[in-house]
Amino acid sequence: MVLKDVIEEKGKTAFMLGNEAIARGAIEADAKVVAFYPGAPTSEVLDTLSDALDNFDYQMEIATNEKVALEICAGAAFAGIRSLTAMKSVGTNVASDTLFVLGYTGVKGGMVVVMADDPQAHSSQSEEDGRFFAPNTYIPMLEPSTPQEALEMVKNAFEISERHRVPVIVRTVTRVNHQSGIVQTGEIKRKAFQKVKWKELSEKYITLGEVARQKKLKMLERTMKIAEEFETSEFNFNERARSDTGIITSSVSYLYVQEALNMLNAQNRVNILKLGTTYPLPKNKIEEFIGDLKKLVVIEELSPYLEKEILSIAKEVNPSLQVYGKISGDFSEACEYNPNIVAKGIATALRMKVPEYESIIKEAKELKTLIPDRFPTFCAGCPHRATFVALNQALRILKAKGQEHYLANDIGCYSMWVFPPISQADSSLCMGASVGVANGLSHVIEERIIAVVGDSTFFHASIPAIINAVHNGNKFTLIILDNSVTAMTGQQYNPSTEFIAGGKQGKKISIEGICKAIGADFVEVIDSYDVKNNVEIFRKALEFNGLSIVVSRRECALYGDRIKRRRGEKIVPVYVDKEKCKRPYVCLRTFYCPAYEIDEDRQPRISAELCDGCSVCSKLCPIQSIKPVEVKK
Amino acid sequence: MSLNIFICGVGGQGLVLLTSVIGYACVKNHIKVITGEMYGLSQRSGAVSVHLRIGEDAYSPLIPFGQADILLALEAIEPLRYIEYLKKDGVVLMNTRIMHPPVETSKIVDNKAAKYITLEEIVSQLKKWTPNIAAVDALKLAKEAGNVRTENTVFLGCLSALVSFLPTEESIKEAISEAVPKKTVEQNLKAFYLGKESAFNSLCTLVPCRK
Repeated sequence: MVLKDVIEEKGKTAFMLGNEAIARGAIEADAKVVAFYPGAPTSEVLDTLSDALDNFDYQMEIATNEKVALEICAGAAFAGIRSLTAMKSVGTNVASDTLFVLGYTGVKGGMVVVMADDPQAHSSQSEEDGRFFAPNTYIPMLEPSTPQEALEMVKNAFEISERHRVPVIVRTVTRVNHQSGIVQTGEIKRKAFQKVKWKELSEKYITLGEVARQKKLKMLERTMKIAEEFETSEFNFNERARSDTGIITSSVSYLYVQEALNMLNAQNRVNILKLGTTYPLPKNKIEEFIGDLKKLVVIEELSPYLEKEILSIAKEVNPSLQVYGKISGDFSEACEYNPNIVAKGIATALRMKVPEYESIIKEAKELKTLIPDRFPTFCAGCPHRATFVALNQALRILKAKGQEHYLANDIGCYSMWVFPPISQADSSLCMGASVGVANGLSHVIEERIIAVVGDSTFFHASIPAIINAVHNGNKFTLIILDNSVTAMTGQQYNPSTEFIAGGKQGKKISIEGICKAIGADFVEVIDSYDVKNNVEIFRKALEFNGLSIVVSRRECALYGDRIKRRRGEKIVPVYVDKEKCKRPYVCLRTFYCPAYEIDEDRQPRISAELCDGCSVCSKLCPIQSIKPVEVKK
Repeated sequence: MSLNIFICGVGGQGLVLLTSVIGYACVKNHIKVITGEMYGLSQRSGAVSVHLRIGEDAYSPLIPFGQADILLALEAIEPLRYIEYLKKDGVVLMNTRIMHPPVETSKIVDNKAAKYITLEEIVSQLKKWTPNIAAVDALKLAKEAGNVRTENTVFLGCLSALVSFLPTEESIKEAISEAVPKKTVEQNLKAFYLGKESAFNSLCTLVPCRK
């Protein structure tokens, strides 16, 4: 990222990632409070605003979870101050308790919630369709297709929010967040930040019982008004053609439609209605569009959210309309779309020759039989790998005594443990769920239960389940992998780091301090790299008659490397002494480090370019044949 | 007309930075550009890919199957993984460097008869798709430039030789200087030139290049 494009006062033509454009939109809209919990594909909104923080006067927090982030923004908006948060839709699940009541209470200052879905589950546990949050919470929703539109919609959402005194969702998908393109930025005209007097605002944000019933009616009224306004929104537009066929689409699918029509050479053969305001829907506009069509193709990823609404409108205004979508079986609810899938659907409706792509895929597949999979794995130097090596050795000792185990994995870099060649975990659900599930399993299975969470996941969603375990006397082992940062999303700071947003000094929270304060009887802190000693500590923890907690601590290798480079420290790789190596393969069989390969003599070889110099493998080698390379002075 | 480049490689090789530099250079030359980037997890060593589209009639952030003009692979195994995106007469511009994933190594440790995939095997498979293959030892050139992490810029140098690659050399050099860490600007510019030079013996025998 070139930060200067994000912070430059004058508007200009720039090359921006969708997430950078969202951040720029927040700055141009003069947002004063921003708060986030990182989550792909939205993390770069946080990163960009953190990098830009020195240049502006907004308050920024990297919050402990999405619910707290949303509430930080709500607090600001209650006092009339503009605020923005961004989260992946599975994060919205965590925040949703608050989101639902914000629909009732409303806000005073503009409040924008960027919510990203991840069709194809590229970096998520599910293909959630977060759009349903909007009708469920009566919170209006906009959907951009491009970085440019994302910037415009974020700015506009603040205005809608203030006009109707309700938060506004800007819903994206991975292919919008991680799409780069040409963006024309606007001017930055920010007012100096000033605290306000709460008493002078005379606002109340309460909803309960009778108050809630009254607010519900007002919420319905508000939604009608917004729907009316959206009928003329510039974010919904028609591209007319002399044809009895139409397409209704939104989000990134609009770009696939354009591409597909270009592929089919059918640009002027269909009418297009592109929807940018997808809750509440502009029903009159849809009525007018479909009124005299014979055929309609609805192109949207995931659930038939638009399609169902459109079908119910069509029933009234054009009952004979033939609708091609998911319900008709022309498109799938599974996985993300692409230009080829969309071209096929449009060609079917237009009775054109359906462009074939399955044969290309099939032919390509035949060429790929040779190539190995490249699953995401622990980086060279990753402390998690060392922790799991020690844990596995302890588990072998236990197994020799006839004790089996259940491993509950969780969300973070340590999730990689479920992929080959390691493939180890009995469950892996969502943030913090491993600890909750361990509580339940402790009542019903005979094996020793191990739950694993990272530092960020510990703070995010694990603490209530740990308290539950201590309070109820549930017996399992909890391993907290503390690598100092939220590594998987790009090494953002969290309460285990001494820094906060913008790299400013913060207060580091002690994980073991919390565990001890809760009343856990077995809390041990280990250095992840110290495999030999850690085996014995894990053995004790696994045999402990109660909840045992092991905090395995060592900073993320990528984060550590950044610090080392900044300090001018050298990373000294290790190598295999071919004379000494007797090929016991302890390094290769237990460690699975990406810096390792096997050479022509079937001896391990370490790539100096990839090795991080953690030296854990050299400590594991029974014949001490792995040594640091000599560094020229 | 648009130029579609599908870029692939391994996490940590600097695909995203390479994409940004090309994007900044396009903006400087008022050329339309759109990308779709896939790097959900921040780990090193996983497969990473970018759809890069330069020119007026590129609408979608994803290149349709069989429409990429160039398949640029910063690692040698990866072009096969995404071959369906390449045109049948398209160009594979690839690194000779193979980074064997732990999955492959573990199979070889367990089975004495198993062997690593070789560059020859990969190229012979690729040739079933297209005759136009240019392989560059980018790691060697990056080392020559003084920084092993400039393989990405070596390939940018290769691309810059192409007639179909619109951003000017001036704008690319400016973009490199703005985007890479200050300390590595010289090394990156050197890597750029080494890459460009190398193109004249390989890539330019397959596609029209600037003099």
